[in-house]
Amino acid sequence: MVAEKQSKFKWGMAIDIDKCTGCQACVLACQSENNIPINTEDNFKDARGIEWIRVERYWEGEFPNVKAKFIPILCMHCDNAPCEPVCPVYASYHTVEGLNVQVYNRCVGTRYCANGCPYLVRFFNYWEPEWPESLQNQLNPDVTVRSRGIMEKCTMCIQRIRRGTRKAKRGNNEVMDGDISPACVQACPTEAMVFGNQKDPNSKINKMKNDKRSYTLLDHLKTNSNVWYLAKVDEDVDSHSKEGGH
Amino acid sequence: MQQRRQLDEKQINRELLNGNLETPKWYYPVMGVLGVGVLIGFATILYMFNRGLGVTGLARPVYWGLFITTFVFWVGISHAGIMISAILRLTQAEWRRPVTRAAELLTVFSLLTALFFPLMHAGRPWRIAYWLIPYDWARGIWPNVRSPLFWDPIAIGTYLTGSTLFLFVALIPDLAILRDRTTGIKKTIYSMLALGWRGNPRQWQLQVVAGILLSALMLPIFVSVHSIVSWDFAVTPAVEGWHSTIFAPYFVIGAVHSGVSAVVTMMCLMRWLWKWNNYIRPEHFDALARLLIIVATAWLAFTFLELIFSLYGRDAPEIALRELQIFTWPWNLIFITFLLTGYVIPVGCWLFKRCRNNIAIMFWTSILVNVGMWLERFLIIVPGLARKQVFVYTWEGYWPSPVEWIILVWSFAWVSFLMLLFARFFPLVPLFEAKESQVFTTEMKVGRATVPMVIRE
Amino acid sequence: MIEVPVTNNTEKFNSATNSLVSTTKEPLGGKLKLIFGIFGVLSVIGIISLILKITTLGFDAKSGWGYYAAVVSLLLGVFGTAPMVAIAPTIAKADWHRPVSRIATMFTLAGISTSILAIPLIFALPPLVVDGIRRRSIWFDANIYTPHVFFGIAVIGLFLVGLGLLWVTSIPDMAIMRDHSSGWKQRLGKSLSRGFVGTEGQWISLRARIGMMGTFYFMFLIFVHIIYSICFSLELVAGWKDAIYPMYHAATGIQSGVATVIIGLFLFRKYWKLEDHIGIDQFWALSKLMFATTIFWFYFFICAFMIFWYGKSAINEMTIAILVNGPYMPVFIGTLLLSFIVPWWIIIWNPVRYSPWMLSVVATIVLIGSLLDRIRLYVISWQVYSDEMIHKRYIPLDEIPENMIAPSIFDIGIFIGFVSLGIFAILLATRFIPVVSIWERHQSILLTRHIKFHRTEVYAVGKPD
Repeated sequence: MVAEKQSKFKWGMAIDIDKCTGCQACVLACQSENNIPINTEDNFKDARGIEWIRVERYWEGEFPNVKAKFIPILCMHCDNAPCEPVCPVYASYHTVEGLNVQVYNRCVGTRYCANGCPYLVRFFNYWEPEWPESLQNQLNPDVTVRSRGIMEKCTMCIQRIRRGTRKAKRGNNEVMDGDISPACVQACPTEAMVFGNQKDPNSKINKMKNDKRSYTLLDHLKTNSNVWYLAKVDEDVDSHSKEGGH
Repeated sequence: MQQRRQLDEKQINRELLNGNLETPKWYYPVMGVLGVGVLIGFATILYMFNRGLGVTGLARPVYWGLFITTFVFWVGISHAGIMISAILRLTQAEWRRPVTRAAELLTVFSLLTALFFPLMHAGRPWRIAYWLIPYDWARGIWPNVRSPLFWDPIAIGTYLTGSTLFLFVALIPDLAILRDRTTGIKKTIYSMLALGWRGNPRQWQLQVVAGILLSALMLPIFVSVHSIVSWDFAVTPAVEGWHSTIFAPYFVIGAVHSGVSAVVTMMCLMRWLWKWNNYIRPEHFDALARLLIIVATAWLAFTFLELIFSLYGRDAPEIALRELQIFTWPWNLIFITFLLTGYVIPVGCWLFKRCRNNIAIMFWTSILVNVGMWLERFLIIVPGLARKQVFVYTWEGYWPSPVEWIILVWSFAWVSFLMLLFARFFPLVPLFEAKESQVFTTEMKVGRATVPMVIRE
Repeated sequence: MIEVPVTNNTEKFNSATNSLVSTTKEPLGGKLKLIFGIFGVLSVIGIISLILKITTLGFDAKSGWGYYAAVVSLLLGVFGTAPMVAIAPTIAKADWHRPVSRIATMFTLAGISTSILAIPLIFALPPLVVDGIRRRSIWFDANIYTPHVFFGIAVIGLFLVGLGLLWVTSIPDMAIMRDHSSGWKQRLGKSLSRGFVGTEGQWISLRARIGMMGTFYFMFLIFVHIIYSICFSLELVAGWKDAIYPMYHAATGIQSGVATVIIGLFLFRKYWKLEDHIGIDQFWALSKLMFATTIFWFYFFICAFMIFWYGKSAINEMTIAILVNGPYMPVFIGTLLLSFIVPWWIIIWNPVRYSPWMLSVVATIVLIGSLLDRIRLYVISWQVYSDEMIHKRYIPLDEIPENMIAPSIFDIGIFIGFVSLGIFAILLATRFIPVVSIWERHQSILLTRHIKFHRTEVYAVGKPD
């Protein structure tokens, strides 16, 4: 607790649903950044695809007055994460910088954390991961390739956070807002996603999370998530459900 | 209704040791068939370890499936032993005597089998084997005491240790009898196990005190084991269908229901296989069936409360879950089967004395109960996960793969194999209990009627 | 096999009959008259308080009914579940219950006060549709007054079934009263014993009736506890979802019922001079029962608490605030001490379980604990209820009241008065129903024997089918 207070960082993300076009660029960026095996059609049919970030699509209304709504869902890095206390080996663990991380070496694959997670953003490696020959050299050397039998999930691109903070430390600089961005944030063409340090009072994320449109998902579970959503602006709908986002 | 016959001690020894001092004709063929089943099962498990959990039917969001169901099922069965020997011992129910040994044995072996399942359902079982159970000091990290999966091995380990002790304490006098009737290497082994039992008053007193103490100590463990197993599910707020306060007592009473039924099944088999008609009598079935009616009805009331309160909140995931569980194919068929086999058919039969005293009917109804109880756990675990929250995204169901079915069948073959192996070397009906019961029951004349009597110390 | 000697029991039979019949016949002494008078006056005070409460408070101020609901719940446990002590061992064929069962069954008469108290509460309960929106309820889409009707039927039905149980179990004693007394008692005995002369057929049908009535009473009791606990507390708190709660309510009710029977047994044994009939065995057996139910209190409580505490969602936090660490935390601590820790710690010692007066002290502690338990559960449920809040998904933590409300003078009057009314009803009944059932006493004379066996003496019990 003390270490968390002393830490300079508390990472968080804000996603403006109003700007999201559902283009899936974030999904693709995440796949290539984090060495996620190729999700084939069979994987999806088995419901065993691994997507650290996914874009959920909701249709509203009847044709022709139909609207599509998109919401990207990734690990919420909850402060009060239901996945953490249930892990018997401390594989699911909270860093002092407010990230919920998965320690692959400790994981024994009980999948209890996945049952505890209400957002379904934890994935199990059913098979040994494989890449086609042409993609062997594409793997990111900063990211562990996960073997079969363990859980994995969004890390907020911890390798990029580490690189960013290390660089700042070497140059005796402060980490500036916008210096560090995970792959999904970097790839977002409409800049709907924002990543930043919540302890920096001037950061963009602090402004966004205090916006009157902001809400968190499933907040009745009191997970205290660190990913905020900014509700879609919709003339037809006066009030937006604050609870499920759909 | 006096079914008891006066037997002398020689006859008791001869009849109850008939499976130990000589081999019955059916023994080797049956063990052969079971052995093949066990081998196939172990081969399948090794295949699964080799290929990974991809060979099961598990998929998002159903991360726990048949293995955990079967784990809960076998832990449930293990409640037979303590229910029969400890609770009935403390309440001085005379009819418990012939079945205590078999029930405790069932406890030990079903717990051993249950322990396989959480191990093999894990992604990297070899890591559990050296990180979780013997604590790995070298890593310098304690296991997470907040995790129900950490409470599980502790509860089950304590239960297993306790029941093994309980079984052994009750076995000592019979081991001494076997020691006196065998020769050669067998005699040596039995002598070592019998711990120098001579049957003098002091030894008997110690044995009785140990039995009573162990039964009193086992009772809290008995309740806590299945409560903790139920908390594996109930503490997760993310799964709406699991997060229910009733789970602990509901699981415990369900476990007693399935465990006592399993004892009934076993009693029928013992009567048929070893012809112990003088010891396992219809009156015992009658008493057990009456106990089961009460247990089953209480269990049904808990089921009903659980259902009512899941719908009470009127939350969308809960309603979706119950729709899946009760009305959607194939779960609706499973649900109906579960209700019919878990309660309606067996209890409907047990209400009639004629059925309670009919061994064949008791055999089949008790098997039905355990079919129902397995389905109950399946119905709680799988649909609960399939519709756990609003962000389920993939509304795929789950159906076990052939590998999982083979391992399920293996677990039954494995328990039967162990039981029969034990029965070859040790008596399944406690000889001293049978003799004690001869002394402790009598009858008296009241007017024209003859009333059975029980002696109390 | 031990041979059982045949003995002649006629003398024992007659002396038991005479001594037990005489307890109903002896004229009231001065002290007893005073006690009768005090309870009578207190009952009248209770009824007056009830009328005053209804007229001054009205049915709309829900928070004023919390203590009242708690009293009804306590009486449902104390008086309602006491007969279970007679029913359960009968079904389990235990031999110790015989001298206890009549005293336990007589508490059904005290159900009169529960039944009277329940009626105003039905009017105070809000309907299922509040402000045009249906509130959460286990009755789902039923008629909006369904819980009211069902609870009314259930609580009065429980009283009537209880009376039936008392009557059925005392038919042979009524026949004895018919044969051993004169005047109104003889006439009453004649009409109540329905021509019972003790033929084999009559005994068989009697046993069947007792079994049926007992089972029926048990089912009615569980039904009443389930309905009462859900409709009169749980449903009034938005978001409280607790499936074990009805069973917790029933189990703690049985705990207080056992405590009541112990105290009743102790007092009757002492002041009615029944030492010959009620032995230490009875207290020994009842103490084990109380030990078991005391542990049940803890088990059921921890089952619920564990889920809420570990779950940590907003609803879970609210439920813990309502039940444990909210405004009623002192009451909760009192409950934990008096319902579980103190009685459990005392009762595990064997000497306590052999001593009637020590057991009665423990039973009194348990009863105080039950009262606190009911206050903790019911007062806050009625306190947080409001027509606006009930439709919310849950009550936000900051809207849970910070302070306890104190009972009004009428609440105290009602509590004391209606407990006295129940006791008064029992005291009146002792004038014509013997407090130890004569026929069951005869049965235990017939079916128990002390037999010499080698060098020791053993105790043998007959177990007829």
